[in-house]
Amino acid sequence: MSRVKRILFYAAVVGVVLALVLPIITFFINAFAFRWFYPQFVPNEWSLQAWERIGLIPREGQRTLEGWWRLLSSGSDVINALGTSLALGGLVTVLSVIIGLPAARALGLYRFRFKRLVEFMILAPTIVPVIAFVLGLNINFIRWGFSGTLLGVAVVHLVPVMPYVVLTLSGVFANYNPEFEEQARTLGAGPLRTFWYITLPSIFPGLVVAALFAFLVSWSQYLLTFLIGAGRVITIPMLLFAQASGGNNAVTAAMSLIFIAPAVLTLLLSARYLSGEASAVGGFGRI
Amino acid sequence: MARKWMLLVLVALLLLPMAVSAQETMDDMAPPPGFASWDAVLEEARGQTVNWYMWGGSDSINEFVDTFYGEPLLEEYGITLNRVPLADTVDAVNQVLSESEAGVGPGEGTIDLIWINGENFFTMRQAELLYGPWAQNIPNSMYVDWENPAVALDFGRPVDGYESPWSSAQFNFIYDTARMSAEDLPRSYAELTEWAIANPGRFTYIAPGPGAFLGTRFVKQIFFEVSGGQEQWVGEFNQELYDQWAPVVWELLNAWEPYLWRQGETYPASEAELHELFANGEVDFDFTNLPSGASTFIETGQIPPTSQAFTFETNMIGDFNYVAIPYNAPNVAAALVLANLMLRPDLQAAQVQPANGFGLGYGIDVSTVSEEEFIAAIEEAALNMGAGAAPAADLAASLVSDIAAEYQALIEADWEANVLRR
Amino acid sequence: MWWERWRIAVMLAPTLLIIVVLFFGSLGYGFIQSLGYQPNIGNYSISLDAYSTVMFSERYSEQFWRGLRLTFFVSLASTAIAAGLAIACALLLRQTFVGKRVATFLFQLNLPVPHLVIAIGIIFLFSNSGLLARAAAQMGWISAPSDFPVLVRDTEGISIILAYLWKEIPFFGIIVLAILQSVGEDYEDLARSLGANGWQRFRYVILPLIMPGLLSSSIIVFAFTFGTYEVPKLLGVRFPEMLPVMALEFFLNPDLNARAEGMALSMIIAVIVLALVVVYMWISDRAIRQT
Repeated sequence: MSRVKRILFYAAVVGVVLALVLPIITFFINAFAFRWFYPQFVPNEWSLQAWERIGLIPREGQRTLEGWWRLLSSGSDVINALGTSLALGGLVTVLSVIIGLPAARALGLYRFRFKRLVEFMILAPTIVPVIAFVLGLNINFIRWGFSGTLLGVAVVHLVPVMPYVVLTLSGVFANYNPEFEEQARTLGAGPLRTFWYITLPSIFPGLVVAALFAFLVSWSQYLLTFLIGAGRVITIPMLLFAQASGGNNAVTAAMSLIFIAPAVLTLLLSARYLSGEASAVGGFGRI
Repeated sequence: MARKWMLLVLVALLLLPMAVSAQETMDDMAPPPGFASWDAVLEEARGQTVNWYMWGGSDSINEFVDTFYGEPLLEEYGITLNRVPLADTVDAVNQVLSESEAGVGPGEGTIDLIWINGENFFTMRQAELLYGPWAQNIPNSMYVDWENPAVALDFGRPVDGYESPWSSAQFNFIYDTARMSAEDLPRSYAELTEWAIANPGRFTYIAPGPGAFLGTRFVKQIFFEVSGGQEQWVGEFNQELYDQWAPVVWELLNAWEPYLWRQGETYPASEAELHELFANGEVDFDFTNLPSGASTFIETGQIPPTSQAFTFETNMIGDFNYVAIPYNAPNVAAALVLANLMLRPDLQAAQVQPANGFGLGYGIDVSTVSEEEFIAAIEEAALNMGAGAAPAADLAASLVSDIAAEYQALIEADWEANVLRR
Repeated sequence: MWWERWRIAVMLAPTLLIIVVLFFGSLGYGFIQSLGYQPNIGNYSISLDAYSTVMFSERYSEQFWRGLRLTFFVSLASTAIAAGLAIACALLLRQTFVGKRVATFLFQLNLPVPHLVIAIGIIFLFSNSGLLARAAAQMGWISAPSDFPVLVRDTEGISIILAYLWKEIPFFGIIVLAILQSVGEDYEDLARSLGANGWQRFRYVILPLIMPGLLSSSIIVFAFTFGTYEVPKLLGVRFPEMLPVMALEFFLNPDLNARAEGMALSMIIAVIVLALVVVYMWISDRAIRQT
């Protein structure tokens, strides 16, 4: 490449990347700015007020060890919602993997009649929008008494989550040799030991990716939680949506940062498992 | 000796009426239904937990409730406060509704107290989902001005003792003293029309609609002005009256459009959006429902510190909001004690001060307060209203009550059809 | 063998139970409700009233057709523009250069960030008093917020498209990148040795390679953008309104009769998406065979 071409190339790369991360950068400015009105480009005043308001930093004068402890144990709405979101994401992840693992194995290892139909049915929720089925679901869940409970919301989150879990894991099982299991069994290992020592290690990378997507899809759900949670299961996206449509920018920005932090973190931690898992990447379309 | 007796008799005679009248006020107030006396309520409430379902979208309000009610409840009455935040009050209404459909009986429900008004109250009242009447049977209801139609009627419908007032709100405008002076402010819709034409693009209002009741209120007030006053709108819903004036209002609003922000192609959807347009200098007037005017938003940094509230001369709608007890509340006694506590004048004086985080107006009539310590608290509160509030006299002079709930949905739908989509 | 088949059925059962009961069951239930069949309020008759109200009544027809047009426009534009720009980005990022790892990571950063958050970021960035307007003011290009072009909460859905672009460019991008990396550059080298120029190599080598992946991911993106609620709710205007927002407003209306209309609207969304997916798959099948 010539010099000019090189400079142009780097300019293009920097431009693309900068443009894409710019919205995230605005959150960092907004969350710490105070009275940041047009036409100020750089805020004249900085403040931790937004973080105090959402109950993550004690007010000035109370930033002692005791103040922090009192704040964190008092359970502000954001801390409670963070707990609910994490519990919900964890529950959905565990449930989806336990439920999806056998199905993925069946789809990955065996041929059977109606296989195409089963695959189509499992994939259908990735195409049909949430709005199309959640309204019918809402009424039945109220009738069955599941609405407004954490478990009820978790079960509903399984609908958009299952396709990605099953899809990812069945891809793993497609390249999996069950003969090792047979050998372990003939050597006297029970089903649990066989699973633990033979099956799990070989499907582990795929399992991590599946779990990651289950968590992220659940973590970012708004509409399902809103309509099935009946106002009693308050997650971070619920607070954020209410805040974004009727609150002050600094608080909205601070909450957004809270909301994306675990998502970015999980991605960072499991990035090494992610490469080459193109089938699972489809899950990003749902977040 | 005889003179001494005479004196005693005289004193006794003088004291007797006072004693009798004191006796009478205690007797006058019948206890809430299901209780022998107020003391019985207090006794039963001790050790209970009151589950208060309330809209939880504001952290500062939540904090106010936990501090100013949670602590005295526990310390003085032995009651634990469990505040349950709701995204929308209608969720609590639906909860009680489904409980009633499932056959849950009195004392077996989950909700003890709901922060409520307007449509939600009316729904619950109609479906007979409320405990009561009790609101005039708690001691501190003596501070409530039940003669005031704005208190006794909730959106034009009688309260009948099924909900007790908590606080009040009133529509007022905000302007920036750094941008314009008080003499140039419009004081009526007629003047606002002139102002908007003279300053194209510098005014807009919140789109009337669900979740944006300040916009609806702004339009309702136009009905009052063009029809020559609010009095005729009080009472039952009147379709004829509405049909007579609606075309006039839509014509006026359509005439405004070329002079509005973005030529009226779109309107801010929420109060927060209008605050932002105002703060960034896109428009020159902001709306609020808080009697503390601009002060609360100056404190949060949402609008410039030079902001100041003002009112028109008349037709600024004010209303009260209330608490109600579901028919199946498991801790009725504790709910009654909390509702009573909320009306205590010193706590009422605390709720009006923007610095405490609540910032809504009085639920009681402060002129009925005679206890010295309470008067002192009220006087102190008056000094702490913040520089951004409209003058109290202006607020009082311009106050009118809200009207029947039917108008609200009608105005929202018709505004959309006749102004937004025209 | 029979037990083998039963074993497979047992393995599939939990997943299928969730999908069939919660997903297909709800779709079916929603469909029945959209026909006005509501036994709990004593309505046993079946009709297409809700559909005709939504589509043809004087009150809602304009809202519906304008909304449908906007929804189509936004979904198609976001999918097409995002796919196009993503290919360009992927071609850029597949080169070898200093800082490639950092650049690729930042390129992917928006992937786990929920749509809701990106929508908020778009407001902060593109609104008339947003960061870009302020930058323009600092440069002296505009003197008041109203001089800045209206990009957020505009009637054309521009900000909604922008939000989708910011989310979907990385989405398409990594899919294309993964394909390009797995194929290597052998075919291109071959084409180059046969005298193909840059455009020809792109058109006849790269494009056919990435097309299947690009098409299947654009189905996901199109369906998603057609049916999401949060983004158009935050970035849209009251009129015209995208269909998902309109559907939920019907549904949340306290008037129980409006529920049928909400259901009808959500069924219309589902049918349109499914129909388009079928057409799309048919076309893409043919397109792939021809290239």
